[in-house]
Amino acid sequence: MIAVDNLSIRQGDFLLDGVSLELSDGEYGVLMGRSGCGKTTVLEAICGLRPIIGGRILLGGRDVSVLPPAERGIGYVPQDGALFPDMPVWEQLAFSMLIRKIPKSQVEARVRELAKDLGITHLLERLPVGLSGGERQRVALGRALAVKPRFLCMDEPLSALDEDILEEICELFTQTIKKENVTALHITHSKAEAARLGDTLFHLVGGQLQKVGPNEE
Amino acid sequence: MSGAEDNYRVSSDRPFLLVLAVLGGSYLFLIAAMVVADLIFLDYRDRPVFGPEIVEASRYPGDASGVKITLESSRRYYYQGGRNELGFRMGGNLIKKDGVFDAVEEEVLLVSETPEGAVTASFRPEVRVVGIQLHEGVATLRMDLPHGLLWGEFIRVRDSGSEFWDGVHEITDTTQDELSFVVGEQSKIVNALSLSRPNPLIQALRSRDIQFSIKLSLVSCTVTTLLSLWVAIPIGYLMSRFTFRGKAFVDTLLDIPVVLPPLVVGLSLLILFRYVPDWLSDAVVYKWPAVVLAQFMVACAFAVRTMRVTFDQISQRYEQVALTLGCNRQQAFWRVVLPQARGGVLAAGTLAWARALGEFGPILVFAGATRQKTEVLPTSAFLELQAGRTEGMLAVSLIMIATAALVFVVARTFGMKRIFS
Repeated sequence: MIAVDNLSIRQGDFLLDGVSLELSDGEYGVLMGRSGCGKTTVLEAICGLRPIIGGRILLGGRDVSVLPPAERGIGYVPQDGALFPDMPVWEQLAFSMLIRKIPKSQVEARVRELAKDLGITHLLERLPVGLSGGERQRVALGRALAVKPRFLCMDEPLSALDEDILEEICELFTQTIKKENVTALHITHSKAEAARLGDTLFHLVGGQLQKVGPNEE
Repeated sequence: MSGAEDNYRVSSDRPFLLVLAVLGGSYLFLIAAMVVADLIFLDYRDRPVFGPEIVEASRYPGDASGVKITLESSRRYYYQGGRNELGFRMGGNLIKKDGVFDAVEEEVLLVSETPEGAVTASFRPEVRVVGIQLHEGVATLRMDLPHGLLWGEFIRVRDSGSEFWDGVHEITDTTQDELSFVVGEQSKIVNALSLSRPNPLIQALRSRDIQFSIKLSLVSCTVTTLLSLWVAIPIGYLMSRFTFRGKAFVDTLLDIPVVLPPLVVGLSLLILFRYVPDWLSDAVVYKWPAVVLAQFMVACAFAVRTMRVTFDQISQRYEQVALTLGCNRQQAFWRVVLPQARGGVLAAGTLAWARALGEFGPILVFAGATRQKTEVLPTSAFLELQAGRTEGMLAVSLIMIATAALVFVVARTFGMKRIFS
């Protein structure tokens, strides 16, 4: 469960106040809103990348409001993927496991499993430079899911993709996320994307979060 | 409306591009010309050993008949024309070119086109070796004319037929017409040899003082560079990633060594070290640590600037992702940020190294200019100039150019490897 309770965040002169949101386990939430309305700020606050000035963030019932990002157990997929430029794809996937000093055999197995699920096995030795937009996002998703976090935050992961591969990647994302059994929060400004992906829709308008309700296709 | 748009034309881009090319090109030309001038100015040939000047101060007669100079036939002379000379007449030929010639007549005639002008040409006879002695491995040569060579200079011996004698030797003793150098205990006396002075580059490279200064320069610049990076990477990262009270003040403070005249940096260090314990100032001031500290004060500021720009250009996003993946800040820095900053580290290091190599003012003030002790390459150049040896100074400058070029090529090569891998 992801629960954001009456959150206040200040970013420069911009104040987001009284933001609340709740996603039950395994739900796929989509947070919508215009550019600059503070979607990313909310997401970063949940991930622990931005200090909050009020409210609470609960992940699976645990108050993580003051925990460092590393201890929150959230996978994070930023907008452009932000793949580490100096690491081959396999090392990106293995990164979080190597940090945790997980035995090598387990790391290898997990990397292979993720690569197979995401269809990037042939890219494992490549550096990020030269990967297509879709490939980058698949690697970024795999990297975020490597240590099996229970929660996943994605910041417009599909906005830079071409129309013709969007369908395929959407499908892949939903499948993978269902398979990994994570509770996901996905930011987008595209209604079509929101309709295709989300179980639950939220609208961020004028600093207020409105639940639009379960997504009805 | 559309009709008006059809007639719209922009003027050509050519003048603008031309101005850019001319402005940029003139600077590029100056850079290249400057280095090339240094390289071609130096005479790389050996030169003969010459005796004293034989032209007396006089004026050309009003009737353009010239000035007679008496020479010894079958000796070689070095002629150098001045601003008033056309050349000199010998054996019916008018010789205009400067250089060494064999005298075929007892008398030559200096010719000028400015009657009543001063004689500004120079004739110098080549000295001959008239006696060779060997005593306990030290050779002493006697010349028929004063040779003008000084103790500590180098002389090249040829045509002796002995491997001990041939080669470049340091002159260990001189009188007006004698000079000595070590040839070694095993060598035997030889009957004949010819002498020449090696070019200033060889003189400089063989000089123990300059060898020491090359070594001190290389070592101190490298130590300075490592120290600078050691400090610049944390400061650059801190200034790039964190906001704190007084950051603007710290930023200004960091720029002080850049804007402060280098001499003042040296003086300030000297004054600062009056306030430290004696054992510390004794160990630093006027010793080699002072060289490193003086270089460091200036070079580090440049490294800090470079590192800050480098970190500014690396998106925080990478660290944020690393944090969510389980890193603390330190792990994120080492595993994600620093590998991306490699190019910047290299640039900062090269910049610091080059700054340190050229540092002169603060070193002169804070470390002094003691030979074999605190002498670095710029100091050598300065000492050569002070001793009136422009060519020696140029030779030292060439050594500096070569060293700097080498370091830049190495740095660039490593930088390229990163880009192409």
